[in-house]
Order: sequence, then structure tokens, then C-alpha cells
Amino acid sequence: MIFLTVIARLADGLPLAASIQEDEQSGRDLQHYQSQAKQLLRKLDAQSPDRCMLEAGNMNFCYFISQGVCCLCLCDASFPKKVAFGYLEDLQNEFCEQYGKRVPEVTRPYSFIEFDTYMQKTKKSYVDSRAQRNLSSVSTELQDIQRIMVANIEEVLQRGEALSALDTKASNLRSQAEKYRSDARFLNTRSTYAKVAAVVLVFVTLIIYVRFWWL
Amino acid sequence: MNHQPAYNPMQAKVLGPPGPPLYASGPYQPVPPGPQSGSYPVAPAQPLLTRPQIGVLPSHTPPQSASPVPGPRLAQTTPPAQATPPPPAVTSTSYYTGPPAWQYAAPRGPAPNHVNPAVAAPPHMSHGSAQPPGPGAPPTSIHGYPQPAPPPMPLHTYQPNRPAYGPPPTAPPTMKPAAPPAGPPGTTGTPPPPKVDGDVAGNGPQAPNSYNHVDTRMAGAAQPGPPGRHLGHYPSLPPGYQNTSAPPPAPLHPALQAATQPYTQGPQPYQQQPGGPGPGPAQLSPSMAAMSLQSSTPEALRVVNLLQERNLLPSAPVPAPTPCLTQDLQKLNCSPEVFRCTLTSIPQTQSLLNKAKLPLGLLLHPFKDLSQLPVVTSSTIVRCRSCRTYINPFVSFLDQRRWKCNLCYRVNDVPEEFMYNPVSRSYGEPHKRPEVQNATIEFIAPSEYMLRPPQPAVYLFVLDVSHNAVETGYLSVFCQSLLDNINALPGDSRTKVGFITFDSTIHFYNLQEGLSQPQMLIVSDIEDIFLPTPDSLLVNLNECKELVQDLLKSLPNLFEKTMETQSALGSALQAAFKLLSPTGGRMSVFQTQLPNLGVGALQSREDPNQRASAKDVQHLSPATDFYKKLALDCSGQQVAVDLFLLSAQYCDLASLGCISRFSAGSVYYYPSYHHQHNPAQVERFQRDLKRYLTRKIGFEAVMRIRCTKGLSIHTFHGNFFVRSTDLLSLPNVNPDAGFAVQMSIEENLDDMQVVSFQAALLYTSSKGERRIRVHTMCLPVVSSLSDVFAGADVQAVTGLLACMAVDRSVTSSLSDARDAMTNAAIDSLSSYRQSVLTIQQPGLLAPACLRLFPLYILALLKQKAFRTGTSTRLDERVFAMYQLKYQPLAFAMLMIHPALYRVDDLSDEGALNISERTVPQPRVLQLSVEKLSREGAFLMDAGLVMYLWIGRNCHQNFLSQVLGVSSYAAVPEKLCFLPELDTAESQRTRALVSWLRDQRPFFPSLHIIRDESQLKPHFLQNMIEDRTESALSYYEFLLHLQQQISK
Repeated sequence: MIFLTVIARLADGLPLAASIQEDEQSGRDLQHYQSQAKQLLRKLDAQSPDRCMLEAGNMNFCYFISQGVCCLCLCDASFPKKVAFGYLEDLQNEFCEQYGKRVPEVTRPYSFIEFDTYMQKTKKSYVDSRAQRNLSSVSTELQDIQRIMVANIEEVLQRGEALSALDTKASNLRSQAEKYRSDARFLNTRSTYAKVAAVVLVFVTLIIYVRFWWL
Repeated sequence: MNHQPAYNPMQAKVLGPPGPPLYASGPYQPVPPGPQSGSYPVAPAQPLLTRPQIGVLPSHTPPQSASPVPGPRLAQTTPPAQATPPPPAVTSTSYYTGPPAWQYAAPRGPAPNHVNPAVAAPPHMSHGSAQPPGPGAPPTSIHGYPQPAPPPMPLHTYQPNRPAYGPPPTAPPTMKPAAPPAGPPGTTGTPPPPKVDGDVAGNGPQAPNSYNHVDTRMAGAAQPGPPGRHLGHYPSLPPGYQNTSAPPPAPLHPALQAATQPYTQGPQPYQQQPGGPGPGPAQLSPSMAAMSLQSSTPEALRVVNLLQERNLLPSAPVPAPTPCLTQDLQKLNCSPEVFRCTLTSIPQTQSLLNKAKLPLGLLLHPFKDLSQLPVVTSSTIVRCRSCRTYINPFVSFLDQRRWKCNLCYRVNDVPEEFMYNPVSRSYGEPHKRPEVQNATIEFIAPSEYMLRPPQPAVYLFVLDVSHNAVETGYLSVFCQSLLDNINALPGDSRTKVGFITFDSTIHFYNLQEGLSQPQMLIVSDIEDIFLPTPDSLLVNLNECKELVQDLLKSLPNLFEKTMETQSALGSALQAAFKLLSPTGGRMSVFQTQLPNLGVGALQSREDPNQRASAKDVQHLSPATDFYKKLALDCSGQQVAVDLFLLSAQYCDLASLGCISRFSAGSVYYYPSYHHQHNPAQVERFQRDLKRYLTRKIGFEAVMRIRCTKGLSIHTFHGNFFVRSTDLLSLPNVNPDAGFAVQMSIEENLDDMQVVSFQAALLYTSSKGERRIRVHTMCLPVVSSLSDVFAGADVQAVTGLLACMAVDRSVTSSLSDARDAMTNAAIDSLSSYRQSVLTIQQPGLLAPACLRLFPLYILALLKQKAFRTGTSTRLDERVFAMYQLKYQPLAFAMLMIHPALYRVDDLSDEGALNISERTVPQPRVLQLSVEKLSREGAFLMDAGLVMYLWIGRNCHQNFLSQVLGVSSYAAVPEKLCFLPELDTAESQRTRALVSWLRDQRPFFPSLHIIRDESQLKPHFLQNMIEDRTESALSYYEFLLHLQQQISK
């Protein structure tokens, strides 16, 4: 079963279209998954792997990135991987055909929400296990599917945090080092001054001594 | 400041063709030229600090929670609005001294320390006094009133007396603990749920689309900045404080004041005080006018002896009073059609308010169809960080980088992108942004304002097809209307529709694409309702339009011969709720009889013999809480239920109406609807349906009203559910819904000159855009009782009292509510007499601004909702009550006090010219039979219905030219339209009637009546100033008031 499908712009995670399957059973914590999906879409960038499956409890997030657009869906852990990716690719193709050119320009969230109609229909045909057509259409891409990376959602979401923590630490270290450096320089100068002052003092004393005692 | 050039590429063009369609999709797609540059993370980073953390998400009340959480929701089934405790042992019936359900909270603690306003005179007062009463002081009697009668009362002469004259209100402070559930003193502390969407943490630096674009429909009119405002020097005085430094007399000049009325939509004279060629001094600052009392009294405070002046009614509709603000502020202020306050001068303290004995509240029409509405698209919406107020024209800019909130006085930063003004394409002028130039504005919300993707427009129609329903013949009218308007339903390509019909069983219609004809599925198990094929009952309108049309064509014939008389409405509603709950949407229920089967079955509670005789009316409250509970479930799933009741018999609207009331729906009632016997109702139903189907609609909406610290909102009126203390949940919002709130003053407003109110409505448009419409209103604060009276808005006061009285009738009793309304008039007038008037004269004295108050109160007492003595059907009474609470003020006023025009001698003098049509403007006459004459023809406009009364000796000319009949006797008995004759008289009359009809969103039916018509009693019942068997005439009512006051 596919519960949630979001299409977003890769550059900034702006949601462009979405479709939600809500019924009495799935309504329970979809909210939580929705916010996870939003975070995930913000985390993803051009460096992320094209296809990935993320485990989140007893659900799986699958996403597929191409042409600056990211298609993400949430499905049961038992839902066949290849069907899910077949579904995403189908959406991706259709979406890019219809709206692809306008994607970089839009500013409003869910600008292409009307794509929902297509998404729901496509979903129906993929989810329906009786429709044999699905399997044949996706089995050709079995090769690709094998290479899909599987990771855990928590890791992905926290990876960014860890990186940013590292970043903060590094910048802390750097600023401390700079502070140390400036402090050291200051101390150096001060000791130099002290030395000079001592020498000057000795000389002055010497001159005075010579002037008053010797003469 | 090297950021500056970089902002130009990030700007967007101003795409604003000044056209009326609000939803032209084109202009909202800003096109930021050039690549999205992500190099300025500063601007978007700011809001991050303000957003709630992810972790706290569940603890907030989500604005449109889609998750079914029955527990907490049911726990709050008594929303604060309804939670007003039943008045404990009501002995006193005054609104003010009475039970705490009425809102005059007694002063808290050491309240009387404000009775001496001389100490707390606000700055602008002394400003006024320092000013010579020179050119600003208007001449005394422009209006030709006999001015000497009420001698001018210098302000300072009565003020010292006031503690003696006006003892603190009789409500003892001990009653306070039982006070109504006033919300926590703010709106301020609670983070507003529209922002609750928690997962925005990482948004800032990587959001390159700092688009910043304004789409204005103002045709650039307001943007260039009014001349004289902010004269170039940038950190100019904030608008809120300009009245202290404004060039002294100029802005107060009456002519200027009138010229700056920003919302003059009607003819200019409407905006002025009635009866005068120039604007009365009431439009000056009252303090200003009070200081020059040696020469004049403000028009609003001119003393009127109601017993002597008979012709009080102005000849044109009563205008809303203008708040006494400086010209600059008033120019920016929100339209009174949208936002109106009962007191346009807010009293400084609660004790002052208690002394005035007038209710304090707001009347709103937030989703009104507006002809021009600036729309802003911006990645960050600038809001106060502590109280979440939207930036508005009444904030003050401390300098270019900081602004001070006008509600909580917190100093906020101006975000970087707000510095750029997309209208003038200039940088560094945040005070010229459209947000700061318009009191009514709409924002396109970013994704933080969405908990889920915007829902599609979903319409479900639930139709009664029992024998009774088929008998009325409404089904064919409905199907035809929907067929005609099926392309005009608001929505986009995602729009979904569905149909359910019911009698003793529930019938679903499978309309799935691919079927050759609609498939009817009958579920007879009404105890445990289920959906036969959940997927194909709600279908995409675009894809299945033909099937839907087929169904609509066949539906009227399908049940032609049904003999089923029972009605399982409750189960049908449950089924419809199940169908709609995944998406939310609108459910339109058509019902023609009392539901008598399954859940939610009702019994007839009305005894026709008791209608007239009973001293008190019973059964105004619901018989079962089934409908309320279901409505709350609907509200949680963003489903609104609109009820169309077409019935000749009693249907228990008091119980059925709850389904709409708590789900923010609307109720339509067509008593004795029949397709043959009652053509007037049929036409009304048709027209109402057309408007209903095609009007704008907002889905999954929430509304919050904020007001300046110190004021607090405690009771709400209208159709909605109060989610948290001050968040109104509106599953649907429509442009015809009005709201009212009551307020109290929690903290003294000592050092404030103005207070502000802001209503923010967050909704999803039918095109799937999330939008926020914000209205802000600013009002002055006054410290003297006479100023409070001078600012009273008598129509708003009446409207609010009507809402309060409806509540009172339901929680207590009708007679209690009637007494309370009478007492409201008595209390305020006696307070005026005791505390404001210095010289006691005989008679019933009222300030000019309240001179219509007793008339309106009497009209309320004779209104269908509250009248006694005459036979009123319970459903009609309950419907009238719903209307009083639900209709925006302008329409409610017509229902309270109809307008009477003489139409046999219409002329083009003073006529309006609207789109090449000349609309005559006859005088409004008093509602008294003495104004009628047998020679004339009179049109009475009572809101939902109009009567054209033809006198027995009516001019032959009128009969033949307008009605097309030869003689009086030939006027048909049941005529409900004006024949289209090609004569000047006919055109004028029809122009007037259609102009009156066009001004309101519902369709009033017209009845042409003669002396012997059956409807004549209805016509005469609206003659409010006349005596009936059971009710006082206006003069008697005045005498009664006088007697009570002098007691």
C-alpha cells in the first residue's frame, strides 16, 4: 500500500504536488510521516543517491531523483520495492513531461497540486495486486532495482545534524585557535616591551649614575 | 550595504492587471528572473527563530488536524462560545447587573481608581486643549437643529461630578469569579497554530527562492503614498503617534475628514451625518470638539428628546460612524463593511465601559467578496515574534530595521527582504510595502502554513427522496440548478463530487469512469452504516462529468412513485461523513421532514395551539446532541454541512441546525416549499442555489482574532467551532458568513491612544492555494464617558445585542432575553442621563448617535426571533435566530428593521447610476401605517422578503404602467414578480427592486399584496412603530423606557 506521495523540487525541497491516501487505519500517524517526509526533502540535494529506500519503522520511504525533481513515496515495509520504484519512475516521467519546464520558476508550495489526479490513478493501478500488468512493466528494470541503496531514515535525518555539529565544532576550534594566536601575539609583544623597558631603565640609571656620581 | 544590488535580480515583477477576478491563476506565479541565488541567507534565517521546534508539534493544536483524535475533540464539545454557564437563578434580567453569562464583567480589584479621568487625560486631549478653537472648530448648527435647547456642556464641568452621578456599576465584584470563560489575556502567548507546522528547521540557508513579489490589484493607487504622509524624512513618526504632532487644525478640518473616507462606495452623502450639508462635528476628535464646547456640541452627542422628535429615521440607510482618528490613520483603516466595533471609541477602563452600559464587541464579515484586494506573495510573512500579529498599517517603525507591534508592543526586526518594496521597486522603505499600506490584505502562504497538501474542492450532496420530498418537487429544481451551474462550481481539475440519497435506506451512486450509466447502491442496514465502494462514490468532476449529468437528469424521475415516508437523516449524515472524512469538503443536505428513523430521530415538539398563547417559548434548544457531536466530528475532518430545509411541517430546526452551526455551514429554510403552490419560494430556492453553488469557497480554514494587550475576547457568535480559546475552526468559509465577538477590558488602557484589532483567516482556496486574509482595524481610546457615548455605533450595538439575546433565549428563556434587551436600552440611556447630561430636562433624552437605539430594540422585540403574542412557528423563530447570528450586520439590520419606500412616485432625482442603469433612491419611511396612504404603493424590504403593498385607491397610472393591470381589483391575488413593461415607471421600479436584491447574497422574494391578501398580516407585523395586540407602539415603548429611567 502506498500512503503518501510527494513530488518536490530538489534544490530547496519545495513541495510541488502531493497525494495522500487517508483511511481509518492509516490516518493514525501519517502526520508524523508527513513531517519526516518534509525534512527528508529538505535534506536531499544533488549529491544524494538517485534512488534510495529508507526504513522508517514498519514503513519505507522510497525516493527517486531525476531532472531536479524528487519523487518520494511512503509505503508498507512489505510493499514490493520494484513496484514502488516503478510507480515513482512513472510519476517522474509524466510530471517532467507536463510541468518540467516550469519547475525552477515556481515559488508557491504545491503549485502543481492538480497532478494529484494523475498520481491517484497511477497509484491505483500499481497498488492493485490483481493487475498483472504491473509486474511485467517493472520486471525489466529488475537489474537497476538490485542496486538500490537501503538506509535508515533516522541516519539520513541525523547525518545532516552530525555534519552540522561537526561543522560547529570545527568552527569553534578555529575561532579558539585564532583567539590563541592573537593572545600569543599580544603576550609576545608585551614581553618584548618589558625587555626593552628594562634595558632603557638600566641605561638611564647608568647615565644618571655616571652624571651625578662620577662628575 | 552591498546587498543592495543583489536584491534586484531576486525581485519579481509586479504582475497586477487590475482586474476583478480574485483567482486568475496567472498573476500568482511570480517569475523571478535569473537563477535563484542562494547567497543571502540572512533574510530567510530570521523566521527560524520564531518557529516552533519539531518536537513540540503534537502539543500544539493543529489548525486543521486531519488525524481523527476523538478523545480530545470530544472532550471539548462544549466550546467556550457555548460554554457560557446558564445564568444562575436569574432574578435580575439586566445584561449588566445580571448573571455573568452576559458580558459586563464587574471591575476587578481596585477598579474605582479610574473614575477621575481628569488625571488620566490622554495626551491628545491636552493637545486639543492647547489648540485654539479656531478654524478647526466647526460652526455650531449646520444642521438647523434648535441648538440652544441642550446647552453645551463643558467637559470639565461634569467630570468632577461624575463619581457622584455615576456610581460604579451595580454588579458587585463578587460576581466576578463566576465570570465567563474569558480567554487567557492573550492571544498573545499562544503560538498560533497556522505556524504549528514544526518541521521547518533547516529551511533557512538553503532556501534560495527568496522570492519577493507583490501582486497588487490596487492599480497602484495606494502605493505611491498619500501626499503629506511621511514627508520624505525616513524614520518618520509612526502612524500611531502622528496625532500628537500633526499640523494642528488642518487634519481635523471637517471637509478633509470627509474627503478621506476611504471606503466611500455608496454615494458620498451616506458617509456624512444625516441631515447636514457638511459633515457634522462628530467626525472630529471628540476631545477636540469637547474642548470647543463653548461653541458647539458634537453632532453625535447632540441631545435628542425622543418623545418630541418624531422623524428620527434618516432618509437614507444609516452609515457606520467614523472613528475619531487622525486623517492618516482613518485613511488606512479597515472598511466598516468588514470590521465594525460597537464602540468606535474604546473606553479606557472596564469601569468606564460598565458605566456606559453598552456592549463592547466586534462584528466581522471577514470573507466578504471584495472588488479590490492586494495579494502578496512572499517567502516570509512578517509577523510579531511574540504575539504573531501580522504586520499591518498601524505598527510603528522605530527605525529602518525595527518595528514595534501595535498589539503587544514588542520590538521586532524588519527582515532583510521586507526592505525591498516590490511595488515601487525601491529599497529601504519598509513602511511603503503593501502590507503596511493596506488594512485588508491577502498573503499566499508558504508551506509552513500547511499541515497537509491543500485539499481539493469536494462537494457531496445528500438528498431527501422520501415521499414528502418528492411531493414538494424540489428535486427537479435542484438537479436543474446543478446541471446549469456544474461548470461554475469553484474548483480546479481535482474537484470531486458525490451524491447520496436517502429515505428509510441510504442510496449511494457509483459514478466511476468507464461505467455506461450511474450505478445505484442501496444500503438498508442503517444501524451500522458502511460505504459499499469507497473509491468510486466521490468522483472527479472533470472526468466523470457525463455520468454526473446523466444522474442529475434521471434523479427526479427515479423516485417519482416512491411511497416511502420515513427519513433516516442521521444515518445518511454518518455515511456522508465517512465518505468525506479522508479529504474534507462540503456536504449539502436537503431535508424536507422530521427525521424519524435510525440514529438522530426526532419527535415533534411543537404544539401549534401554544404558539401564540404561551408566555414563554419552549424547545429552542436541541432535543438531542447527536447532531452537535456529528458536527464536531465533521469539523475535525474539515467537513462543513450546509442544511437546506424545505418543509411545510415542523422539522425541529433547533436540533437539526446544530449540524451546520458547529461545522461552520449555513442554514437555508424554505417554509411551505411547493413547486406549484408556492412559486415565490421556488424562485428563491433557485436563486439561492445558484449563488450557493457558484460563490467563492475556502476550505480547511481557521480564523483568529487578536486585539491589543489589555482587551480580551471572550464570546464568539456565528457558525464555527472554537478549537482552542480563540481559534475558530471553519471547515468551510463562505463569503456570506458574518461573525461577532464580545470583548472586555482586562487591563486599563491608560497610556494608549489607539488600540487595534486584527482578524486573520487562513484558508485553502478552491484552486488549492493556501491563503491568509488579514484585516486590521484601529480605534481610538477615550477616557470620558461622553466620548464613549459619542462613538457608539447603534447598528453594531443592536446587532451584537441580538446575538447575545439569541444565546440568552437558548440558555435561559425568551422572556428573559426580551427583558434583557429592554434593560439594555434603559440602562444605557439612564446612564447617559445621569452621567453625561449636566442639566436635567424632562423627556427621554438620548445622544444623537443613539437616537435610533430604542427603535431598534423595539424592532428586535417584534422580530420573528423574539416576538411573543403572535403566532410564530417554532422553526421560523429558530431560523430567524440563526439569521441574526449568522448574517453580516448590514443584512441582519434589514431583518431587524425593514426599510419602507414609497414607489408609486419614483423619480430620477438623486438616482444612482450603476453601469448604465438608473436606480431611483426613494426616501426611507418610518415603519408606521400612518405613512401608508391608499393612493400610493409601498415597497417594504425586510431582508429575506419584500412586500409591495398596493393601496386601494392607487393611481391608475401605477397600476397600468408598472403592474400592467387595468384596475385595483384586477391585481392578481398571488403575484410575486413585476411584469417587464416597457414604460419608464416599470423600469424604475424594477431597477430599484433588482438593485436592492443585488446588494445581498441571498434572494429576497417579492410579494405584491393588496388589502385582502393573506400576506397582509405579515406586512403589517413589520410595522414596528405601530401598536399590535400584544406589543407596545413605539411611543408607548418610549414612555415605558422613560418611566423606567426616571424610577
